[in-house]
Amino acid sequence: MAVKTIDIREQPILSFGRIVRIALTGVRYRLFRASITVAVIAIAMAFLMNILGESIMKKKVADASRAQIGTLRAADWWLARLSVAQSVEEIVRTLSTLDPASSLVREMSQMTGTRPEEIMAQCRSAAAAARYLQFNESIDYGRRRILMGSAASTAVFDALGTEAEQRTFFSRLAEMKSVRFVTTPEEFTRFLASWPALKEFVTKVRKEQATAVGRIQNALKGRTILDALCEAGAPFTNDIRAAGFVLDDAHAATLLAHALRTERIRTLEDGLNDGEVLRQVAAKKDILPNEVTVEMLWQVLRNKDVAEWYLGNLGKRNVEVHGLTPELAASLAAERNYWRLLSRSERATSESTGGVMGIGTRMTWLALVSVIVCMVGIANAMLMSVTERFREIATLKCLGALDGFIMTVFLIEACILGFVGGVMGTAVGLVLGLVRMLAVFQSLLVHAFPIGALLAAAAISVTCGIILAAVAAVYPSLRAARLAPMEAMRIE
Amino acid sequence: MADEQKPAAKEQKRRVIIRTVGMKKQYQMKAQVTHALRGVDVEIYTGEFITVMGPSGSGKSTFFNMIGALDSPSEGRVFIDEVDVAQLSAEELAFLRCRKIGYIFQTYNLIQYMTALENVTTPMAFGGVPTDEARRRGMDLLDLVGLKERWFHRPIEMSGGQQQRVAIARALANQPSVLLCDEPTANLDLRTGQEILDILERLNTQKGVTIIIATHDHRMMNVCDRLMWIRDGQIERIARRDEVHIELGGIEGGKHA
Repeated sequence: MAVKTIDIREQPILSFGRIVRIALTGVRYRLFRASITVAVIAIAMAFLMNILGESIMKKKVADASRAQIGTLRAADWWLARLSVAQSVEEIVRTLSTLDPASSLVREMSQMTGTRPEEIMAQCRSAAAAARYLQFNESIDYGRRRILMGSAASTAVFDALGTEAEQRTFFSRLAEMKSVRFVTTPEEFTRFLASWPALKEFVTKVRKEQATAVGRIQNALKGRTILDALCEAGAPFTNDIRAAGFVLDDAHAATLLAHALRTERIRTLEDGLNDGEVLRQVAAKKDILPNEVTVEMLWQVLRNKDVAEWYLGNLGKRNVEVHGLTPELAASLAAERNYWRLLSRSERATSESTGGVMGIGTRMTWLALVSVIVCMVGIANAMLMSVTERFREIATLKCLGALDGFIMTVFLIEACILGFVGGVMGTAVGLVLGLVRMLAVFQSLLVHAFPIGALLAAAAISVTCGIILAAVAAVYPSLRAARLAPMEAMRIE
Repeated sequence: MADEQKPAAKEQKRRVIIRTVGMKKQYQMKAQVTHALRGVDVEIYTGEFITVMGPSGSGKSTFFNMIGALDSPSEGRVFIDEVDVAQLSAEELAFLRCRKIGYIFQTYNLIQYMTALENVTTPMAFGGVPTDEARRRGMDLLDLVGLKERWFHRPIEMSGGQQQRVAIARALANQPSVLLCDEPTANLDLRTGQEILDILERLNTQKGVTIIIATHDHRMMNVCDRLMWIRDGQIERIARRDEVHIELGGIEGGKHA
């Protein structure tokens, strides 16, 4: 009779690989339940990945097209400046964000004969003025009437010139409980003291700008600015400089390119005014002449042969074609789609700010809710899994399993499910997002494809799936581990 | 004659493997207190084959949980191999359950997703036996219960008797000193039940494993050394088998084989 001497020691801990294998066999055995849990995780992760992926793509497209849109804006801004002097408020706002290295400083300095340092000093009080102007706009009409009377914009500062007026203003302000003034009253008083100087400077700038615009008008001799810019030989940019504006070469190039492009587009579109051309285009599209739109013209112009024929038609009637060649016309037609995409991307990406990773506040909330719903789903599935395995767990404990082993098995099971669900969901969400974004942005997205950021987002969302499943499984697995082994004895 | 000599011969080498002292257990269920055990003092010796009988609700199962280190008594003490179970930590309890005691359940309780061999080797894995050795020993044990050829079958592919045989092999995995069997034949037909009994008896006589069986099966009485009756949470009677007269011919013959 082999009676062994009993010495009680601690149980050895199973190797990790072994536990993983046991958990895997368990998952395989309960494949149906596991696949439902996986589906829950996959849906949540698909949602998360979709939001992340789309916002990343939107952001990338927005960044890529910002430069283009910026150029466009700069050209428009210059055209506006050349035709009319800015308002006092506009000048104040320009001053408030003025870069010391900007050519505008030089321009103001030349026009008004003020030293750049003095201009920069005015900039500081202009920055304060901009803040107060913003405050004026932020409060509603009724309150504005009470505080400032009928004065609007910079006239408010004029209206608050005397100490008595300022006192009335502050006492009324104090009565309005819900209104928070942007600075302390002392600072405002100090600003008001500096306002006349600023106003004097701004008025001077405005007057000089008006004079410069007048010189431009003289130089135009009846032409439009765009026409003048497009004229070859004597560059109009020299006239602009002569008028007193400081136009650096980069801006001059932008302005010229913009003018030329606008002029060429107008030339091509004006061609449709001719009845014969119109009929020919209609014949090409196989529709009635009066149904032909400019958009259709651009469509047919994409073909280089058509463009050549069209230009030939224009040439016959001695229309100035501004150096247009068939290739240029075709590429202008092709570009139209690009510009349309650009403006669409500007609209589509305008809301993609705030929230986590720039996905927008609303989307952040949606993602959060989906994650919570998913977590409840996983916790439920894991709890069910624990409950139906009471006897198995108890038996394992009778056979000498440690609490830690049971817990690890359940956590690993959850992690496996989380990984599989995460990968599947991420793939689905990414593909859906890609298809949607490609449909919206087309070539814009293809040229600026954020592959690195998307991979990072995919990694994040898979990790998120695993962590989510693990966190949701903590309580169920704790319950499983705490189960008394005598449950195995119970007959159900 | 042989019947009288066998227990006596065993007696000399015996030492106590399980001892309970004033063991009581109460279950608190809201305001109501259920006394499952009302003070049990018993000594079980190594190599003994003991049958515990009693009607349902007599505290039989509670008694099994206590001496199997699955539950702790409300009062009194349980010694397994002279070690007070109450002193042991969770890890030490796991160690004890893993190596000292083998459990056999009425419902077999095999792990459904493991093959017969995996079921048998699981306790060895918990006990830290290397995989290759565990596999070899597992096959030996399956051979012992006559299921060597079916090592790759899952429980669902086996009959009740075969499952119970796998369960016995599993219980023997770490060469336990005590085998606790809670109605091992209750779910089996007469013939298969007899096969299981034969295996248990062989283990007892050949390997000297202490076997404690809870049963209603009267055939057990012919195999065991001692009989114990529990009623109302107390030991009603403990008797050596030769003191009890059971009239059950037919089966008697197979006992000495």
